[in-house]
Amino acid sequence: MSVSDRAFSIEHYQWSGGREAMLRFGLTTGAVVLLAMPLFEEANRTRALIVTMLRALAEHGIGAALPDLPGTGESLVPTEAARLEDWRAAFAAAEEQVTRGGGRVHIASLRGGALVDTRANCAGRWHFAPVAGAALVRDLMRARQASAREAGEPFDPAAIAPGGPPVELAGNLLAPELIDELKGAVPTAAAPLRTVRLLTEAAAADHKIAARPLWRRAEPENNPALARELAADLAAWVKTCGG
Amino acid sequence: MTLGEILLPEGHAEVEATVRAVLRDVLGISDERVAAFDDDTPLFGALPELDSMAVAGVLTEIEDRLGITIDDDDVDGETLESFGALVRFAQDKALT
Repeated sequence: MSVSDRAFSIEHYQWSGGREAMLRFGLTTGAVVLLAMPLFEEANRTRALIVTMLRALAEHGIGAALPDLPGTGESLVPTEAARLEDWRAAFAAAEEQVTRGGGRVHIASLRGGALVDTRANCAGRWHFAPVAGAALVRDLMRARQASAREAGEPFDPAAIAPGGPPVELAGNLLAPELIDELKGAVPTAAAPLRTVRLLTEAAAADHKIAARPLWRRAEPENNPALARELAADLAAWVKTCGG
Repeated sequence: MTLGEILLPEGHAEVEATVRAVLRDVLGISDERVAAFDDDTPLFGALPELDSMAVAGVLTEIEDRLGITIDDDDVDGETLESFGALVRFAQDKALT
């Protein structure tokens, strides 16, 4: 089987803190998109969309790599050990591996993934519905507050401080240090960058697409038409950035 | 004269349409069902889709679409009591 026949495989990458899985789609040489997933529950809600998008990208002749970050997906690192700086270092290590394998790396990040792609080298970045860390934290706290209110338990977000115990937010045990790092994190703004958003989002973008925000839906869903539209936009951007 | 008054009634109708679309998109409610919502339609406690996690999603999505920030101290039991109450809450935040 030649490399070009390989539609899908699982490999691993090393970073200074250990070893994580990385899914590969299509070609491993030429332009390869390295994708940073949304964070926390949003990752589960968009996984099917992302896989459909990366398969569609392969039809444009562009390979893709989807790394697990430490403490996410299949990672053996406990969620409460996850730190933003580790995610950034791991994502950069994934980029180095794709580059060593003959790929010319372009980055695609969805939602909170845009907070993670900061340190990786690339020919260009493409962000879909990027979100500031403070907004993600506000959403996590809001959900926790609502469930605490329902259960009649006390919950004070102000009590979450570095050095304190991990806190359960939206089903994940998270370190207060991670929450603190996220509060100050904003999407990477380094050029060349293309930002795509939903038509319904108030924030500015280079291009807007009419679709519903899958990352808000409690029941995971897919939207193959959106996945194909995103893949086409991303493929055009990759070509703009030199392929 | 406040911005809200200048924008009346277009601004109010726009916020109501946004809130309706947010409930449809976040809760996965059909267009027909959500189109039938009026001021008195009860929400929290009446819609099985609207659990505490979904409340957070609804509020955050309203923020994203209206370009506003909601202070959680302003959210109480009555905010999501009915469709009309949620629309008035969002209008207060977006138009004043």
